[in-house]
Amino acid sequence: MTEVTVTVPNRLGIHARPAALIVRAAVEFDCDVWVESPADKVNAKSIMGVMTLAASGGTSIIVSAEGDEESEAVQAVVEVIRSGFGEEMI
Amino acid sequence: MQDRYPDPETFSVGVMYECLGKKLDLENKTDSRGYNRMVVSPDISRAGLCLSGYTYKFMHERIQIFGETEITLLNQLSKEDRISAIANVYDFPVVCGIVTKGLIPPEELVAAAKETDSALFVSPQDTTPLIHELTDFLGEVFAGFVSVHGTLVDVYGEGLLVMGRSAIGKSEAVLGLVERGHRLVADDLVRVRKTANRLIGTGDSLIGFHMEIRGIGFVSIAELFGVGATKEIQSIDLVVRLLDAGINDEADRSGLDQKAFSIMGFDVPLVEIPVLPGRNITLLLEVAAMMNIQAKDTGCTSAERLNRKLIARMGRKRLRDKYDRSDGNCSE
Repeated sequence: MTEVTVTVPNRLGIHARPAALIVRAAVEFDCDVWVESPADKVNAKSIMGVMTLAASGGTSIIVSAEGDEESEAVQAVVEVIRSGFGEEMI
Repeated sequence: MQDRYPDPETFSVGVMYECLGKKLDLENKTDSRGYNRMVVSPDISRAGLCLSGYTYKFMHERIQIFGETEITLLNQLSKEDRISAIANVYDFPVVCGIVTKGLIPPEELVAAAKETDSALFVSPQDTTPLIHELTDFLGEVFAGFVSVHGTLVDVYGEGLLVMGRSAIGKSEAVLGLVERGHRLVADDLVRVRKTANRLIGTGDSLIGFHMEIRGIGFVSIAELFGVGATKEIQSIDLVVRLLDAGINDEADRSGLDQKAFSIMGFDVPLVEIPVLPGRNITLLLEVAAMMNIQAKDTGCTSAERLNRKLIARMGRKRLRDKYDRSDGNCSE
């Protein structure tokens, strides 16, 4: 199990487009990947799940993975989030 | 190969009469004279000003319309003046003339047309609708076309152009749509024309409504499913491209990115569907068509609406968190 905590850096937060980018990064790996907000923990390979977090800009979220290449998977997802999804930052 | 529109290169008055005679209720008044004259312009002209003597910039290469204005003008002139007014027009090589509203053309007009070997028709239809019908048709004839490799089908009135490499399953998917009650326009080869504000597609008259299905051969959709399963002509409202699995599978999961496919400089919304085992492509095509209709009706896609709701919820949550931090006792 690998875990990294990261802050959502873009102003709009994880809406549909960022959610799709997170999922695109996560499905590259065979292991289980999750994203966790203070309220809920969801499968990072599910767009609907990630959207349901409604993680606004500035929210602290935890990315975790378990299985093959778990640290690479977490790394990949965290990078996507840190990049701010190419959107306006806070 | 022949196409459902006449070739503009050989588009004569006779061909125009063949194509539109019935639709416009045209009655020939000049013993079929002048049918060899070529129609060279998609526009029409009202002969009025020229009749009254203003011949500068008279568009004699266009089909001339004699409406109520023109005929009333002629009827109130003396016979001599009427002959000279008509000569103003018929001194030019007039392509052909159409008298509308079932008005009776003065005999001098018929005589002038006959003398100059120019066809004159009478139609009982009103002037403006007749002009619309005529220019629509002429516009389509002169628009030119491109042939596109794909299958065109009408789904709930929405024209779906299904594209993708050979053997990816376009025909099978569209056969499924036909079986569900939608209408085939053209399989494999679609003739696309650009009109003023949209693209329209037709099939080739040789191929008709046949589909080629691997393993079965040529299938006549009109004979098997009846005339209700076919359609002659359809606007192209959405292009769906079927992709091999593995190419761009994850390109756009949300449907927020709207793509366009350009045909003849005209952008049509584009949806790309990866073909994977177990996916019901027919169903996906039907849903894509319905979503395109909904997007047009409401002005935004369902993805956009969902996203707006989500962003609004995040905004409310942010306000609540701020409040929570300032006053620890707040509950929902």
